[in-house]
Amino acid sequence: MTALLEIEGLTGGYQDTNVLFEISVEIEAGSLLGVLGRNGVGKTTLARLVQGEIKASQGDIRFDGQPMGNQPAHARRHMGVGYMPQTAMVFDDLTVQENLSLGSSGKPPDRYFDLFPRLAERLKQPAGTMSGGERKILSFVRTMIEDTKLIILDEPTEGVQPENINHMADCLRERVAEGAGVLLCEQNLNLLSDVADWFLGLDSGRVTMTGSGNMTTRKDLNAVLSL
Amino acid sequence: MSSVLLLNLAWQISTLALVALGLAIVFGKLRIMNMAHGEFVMIGAYAPVITSMLGLPGWLQLPVCLVTVGPVAFVLERTIIRHLYGRMFDSLLATWGIAILLREIVELIFGRGYQSVSPPIAGTVCVFGADYPAYRIAVIIGILLGFIGLYWWNTRSKTGTRIKAMVGNPNLAEAIGINTARLSAGAFVFGCCTAGLAGLILAPTVRIEPMMGLDYLIRSFFALVVGGLGSLEGLGIGSGIIAGTQTFLGAVASQTYGYLAVLTLSILFLWLKPNGVRSSSR
Repeated sequence: MTALLEIEGLTGGYQDTNVLFEISVEIEAGSLLGVLGRNGVGKTTLARLVQGEIKASQGDIRFDGQPMGNQPAHARRHMGVGYMPQTAMVFDDLTVQENLSLGSSGKPPDRYFDLFPRLAERLKQPAGTMSGGERKILSFVRTMIEDTKLIILDEPTEGVQPENINHMADCLRERVAEGAGVLLCEQNLNLLSDVADWFLGLDSGRVTMTGSGNMTTRKDLNAVLSL
Repeated sequence: MSSVLLLNLAWQISTLALVALGLAIVFGKLRIMNMAHGEFVMIGAYAPVITSMLGLPGWLQLPVCLVTVGPVAFVLERTIIRHLYGRMFDSLLATWGIAILLREIVELIFGRGYQSVSPPIAGTVCVFGADYPAYRIAVIIGILLGFIGLYWWNTRSKTGTRIKAMVGNPNLAEAIGINTARLSAGAFVFGCCTAGLAGLILAPTVRIEPMMGLDYLIRSFFALVVGGLGSLEGLGIGSGIIAGTQTFLGAVASQTYGYLAVLTLSILFLWLKPNGVRSSSR
């Protein structure tokens, strides 16, 4: 079975400085890979390299069996790659409704408004006037409702209330059950151990730990964060 | 107030709104301070001259205008402007140079002398008891209808929202599938083409010469400063205040007082209300 996303020997960073070194990992359809590590170890860089915001200096990225490394970000989105960035994750000057409708063809299913009622209350409000946590939720929902096969999420729960993090976990499980692959960069171990099928631990831009969701203990995860 | 003054006000306001529309798109949406905007108006004004020189029928003036302005704008966007998005001061300097270049090229081809063309609609019509050129009445009505259509399109189209998204957060816009390079190029070329169209429409009413764009550029900037960037309402209000003040004072006092008042207004707005009457980044 061909993996949805195949990353092989990926090295990259910003300008002439590499931040990630020789990363190789796969994500299959209907599975969630949790990427964890302390701040600055390269999680965001990995997300950006796969999404196309920055170009790799070495290595291959294949999506659905097709080479994707040379495609610009907008083309990767059309191939089926969705992305929620860690910062600047919404269009501040657009309303909540416009933010939600830009990336998808229709309005979000009512289920999302049931889980996150603040969004439904603020549809006409500019996204830039919302709190940090609310903007995270808006960006998360926008990413979830897009018609994508691979979803890349970079620290989606930062500043989000615990109750809403649980709702996010429910949404992720649903999308994975529908067959989507998810690359989740996160430091929230509760969420990661709740939803991840596989783990990838990073330190100083290199892989320090890999394991399946069943076999990896909380102690293993804590060890990655304490490196 | 006489009927002629009222009609003159309508003419000046509507034509300034049309001229400033392209700048409102390029400066207001793309944040490119296009100092060559007036030169695109000037190139558009030369379209009837080119059509006449080539012996083409009059109805080809619009295609000639678009074929002249469009490729120039496209080439400039691909070679220079695309590197300047988000760099407003650099864009000012670069487009200032482009303006000089375009003026010199036009001067090389057509010379420094004035050109004039006849309006496609001759004669006058009686409006509110005053005889007024039929062409100007047709242009006022056409611009009014055009802006109503544009407003309708802008509030309903996804393209307008995508442009706002691209300007506000280009990386995220790319991430949701917007080809920002293509959209920027399209918006820039469209903005320049509306400037060319304004020049074509104004051509029968002005003296056509290589330096003519400068005045349109300045008055367009004044209209955007006063009205505010980013909305059609702001463009309309700004054009109304600038063209209205200049025309009214020009009629009751002198053109000098009119221009002085416009300058003073613009400075006051920049000082006290820098975002204009109706600023909206949306």
